[in-house]
Amino acid sequence: MEAVSDTDVQFWMAKAMNWGEDLSCSALLDTSRHLCSLRSFLQQVLQGLQQMSSTSEAMKTFPFVGQFLGRLCWNPCVIADERSQRLLLRCLSCLYSAEPLNAVERKANMWIKDMLCHLISEEEGSVAHTTVKHAGVTPKRYHSEALQKVVSLMTEEVIKSCDGLPNTARCLNGNIHTMSTACVALVTCPEMSPLIGALLKHFMLCGSSCLNQEFIKEINEALISKRLVLEHEAVVNLWCYSPTCLEGAAVSFLESVLSGHETMTQSLDKHVNDSLLPRASAHHCHIFLTVNEIYRNVLTEIDENLAVRALIQVFTACFLQRLTGQKPQDRLPLRAFFPNVTPCLLTPLLTAPSEVPREAWLDHLSWIRSLLQSVTENEEAGEDGRAYQAVFEAWFLLVQCGYWVDTAAELLVLAAPENAKSLLWLLTFFHHPTNRGHQRSQQTAVAREAWTHLRMLFLTRPPPPRHLCAVKELLSSSFSANLVLHLFSNFTVFSHGPVSIITEITDKVLTEAAVKRRALWILALIRCRLNSAATRDDRVYSRLRTLQDTLLQT
Amino acid sequence: MEAVLRHLTNILELLAVSQTDHVSEWDRHTTLRGFQWAEYCEQLHSRFQCNPAVRSALESALSDTNQRLQQALPSCSPVMFSELAQCQHMLLIHLLTNPSAPNSVIPILFPDPKTAAQDSQFDQNSLITCKSAFNLLCRTSDRTSYAGLHVEAVVRGKLLGNLLNSVLSRTGNDEYARTLLDSILHDSAGKPESLYDVIAAALLSPDDETNSVVPHFILAWLQEHDGCLSKLCKSLSPGLCTVISRQSREFKQAYWGVLKQWASCLEFDVLEGLWVPTSDEPVTFIILTDRFKDLLHSGPPLKEETETELKTLKREAGDFNVKGICIWTDVIIQLKL
Repeated sequence: MEAVSDTDVQFWMAKAMNWGEDLSCSALLDTSRHLCSLRSFLQQVLQGLQQMSSTSEAMKTFPFVGQFLGRLCWNPCVIADERSQRLLLRCLSCLYSAEPLNAVERKANMWIKDMLCHLISEEEGSVAHTTVKHAGVTPKRYHSEALQKVVSLMTEEVIKSCDGLPNTARCLNGNIHTMSTACVALVTCPEMSPLIGALLKHFMLCGSSCLNQEFIKEINEALISKRLVLEHEAVVNLWCYSPTCLEGAAVSFLESVLSGHETMTQSLDKHVNDSLLPRASAHHCHIFLTVNEIYRNVLTEIDENLAVRALIQVFTACFLQRLTGQKPQDRLPLRAFFPNVTPCLLTPLLTAPSEVPREAWLDHLSWIRSLLQSVTENEEAGEDGRAYQAVFEAWFLLVQCGYWVDTAAELLVLAAPENAKSLLWLLTFFHHPTNRGHQRSQQTAVAREAWTHLRMLFLTRPPPPRHLCAVKELLSSSFSANLVLHLFSNFTVFSHGPVSIITEITDKVLTEAAVKRRALWILALIRCRLNSAATRDDRVYSRLRTLQDTLLQT
Repeated sequence: MEAVLRHLTNILELLAVSQTDHVSEWDRHTTLRGFQWAEYCEQLHSRFQCNPAVRSALESALSDTNQRLQQALPSCSPVMFSELAQCQHMLLIHLLTNPSAPNSVIPILFPDPKTAAQDSQFDQNSLITCKSAFNLLCRTSDRTSYAGLHVEAVVRGKLLGNLLNSVLSRTGNDEYARTLLDSILHDSAGKPESLYDVIAAALLSPDDETNSVVPHFILAWLQEHDGCLSKLCKSLSPGLCTVISRQSREFKQAYWGVLKQWASCLEFDVLEGLWVPTSDEPVTFIILTDRFKDLLHSGPPLKEETETELKTLKREAGDFNVKGICIWTDVIIQLKL
């Protein structure tokens, strides 16, 4: 089979000739648009060349290749793109014969040497050649410094071109677009980052800024595949400029959380903060709303997914932390960030447990419960969609502020029976918001049953086998598995008693790998909540660690 | 020290041989060793570039070896001390351009990018990337917004200024700095205009305007070369000369000197009623007045200083008020001062 099709060859030859070496604005624009597909074509050509047994055979099979590669090597835009450059050099390498057998091969060698010479040096007699020759440093260092200087000059130009005044006529729009076009090939070049940052910032200052779309796309792809590191402000500006990039970043972060299981559960809050999403959300309301919308849609599609819930909870907690860190005059009202929720729910839920004294937790949770209960009762009373929607919004806010549910679970470990009812209601609502098939009473019963068994299991020594079996059975039934697991994990971490019991009980109760994985997510949330608490309880931490180690053992 | 001088001689012989057909005997081992020597040589340059005593010892060793090699192998080009910084690069270019270089050597020097380590000695990727990125950015920034200079000239000028600054910052290096500029001028003999742009940028370059070491040095060097300053001023636009004059008093004085010299080449043709050039200098009355016009449009204090200077010149030449006798009178009349 032919490695490269004739139509492709014709297309690309025409392009290469068209672009030439002159780099007019339109040639540059066209080149930057085609860089990605050019790379694929070069890859095909390379593969074709690699299958040739000699240069003569290559020249016969691919007669266009000499002229084609030659033209591309003289095009600064193509050569400046690292990946295209490597492909071109590898193609040249394929065509070079270490032992040339005929005139064709000898000529090819000479031509390749010329090309390499042109790539690494300047035209003799030019001022470029002279200044580099006597520069007193290696050509590599000279050009790196030259690049840094031209970047710094252009960055100044960008910064000066728009001094933030609303008079957009003063902004040199055409030039910004051209500069960003030139940068398409150079996005991953480390010396370029000040200019990239300035171009992205320019949009924030000048309403009519116009950056080349390919430029934005290249930056986004390079950021996601970690081939580029930008300053935080530049990333946030990128997201403001391009909603597509923001969505891409949010989705790609979600994917990394779902797939990088163990590293993620170890330090979820750090990973979430490193993604820059909380920071960007705190500064720009629309970013928060977009990210929220994406994660919320995922949640409604993958029901009962603890990993997604964990991400939403930690993201919201980190976001709220950043928000409280802002100056009061810069802060938008919370209503702006949570427009769909009944306003009275905002204060109790958005106040973190770490901001409420421990003694007041029970009352605070009571307050939350009564608010939520009235929302659900409204839904049961009326049969219209709006009431249903209100329940969903309230439930989603509870998911976002899941630290309160975790607090309820923690309190349940040592709660007296008269307080347990309220806390169990909350937990049940969290895991089963809808009253599908009027199962709510059944679910509440299961919750109470689980709680009773767990209390006996962790308070009596040795752990009674009857309760052990009961808990195990509840966990294996799919009816309320997550709720029971949630309670179980909290009992393990927060109950008193010897640490050795943890391994003993866990090994007997959590036997399936899938269940253990889900438990790790619950632990991740407990850890994040403990990290932001005012004081550190070493006893609890050591129990947490023991449970984690037990779960991680295969 | 003796060992160092011996090594230096070896390198030069190596570089010379790489340009002849004796290079066909090189194998992989020889080539790699050659580059090792070249790298050592670069380190020598970097250590002793600004040390006048050691450098001059090295320079005289270089000079002797160059002479000797020229006699034995006339086709080889002599190597200057400043070029030692790029020894490996020179060797590489020689091997690429010498038809007698063994074919097996090239793949060693350009290893397959996929398998070679990123910072291997022979990795040319970052050089090629930086060079073409620089090229690309310079070409797209085509507006001459830096005092009328193209951005490429500005960057090269700044780098030249930095080089001179670091060389001149230690005592005893004046001669060496002069040699550098001499070599650059000599090598640009074909197209000096682009070089003049770079020199103008170097004159403007110190970011710290109180540092006048480099502009002073460059001006002194320009004035040592007969006609060089005049050619420079002719090549640069009036606007650019004005900008440099604003920044450097020394240049302003030198520039006025050039303009006076141009003026002295003009003679009044009574029949035509015009000032015409007498020598080969392609300076016309219009060109001269344009220069002064630009100086006068620049704003204080240059504007006032130029006016005063013109009036002084007119007075010293006899203070004529009639056209056709004193060029300064005519210039003043033309500019409606």
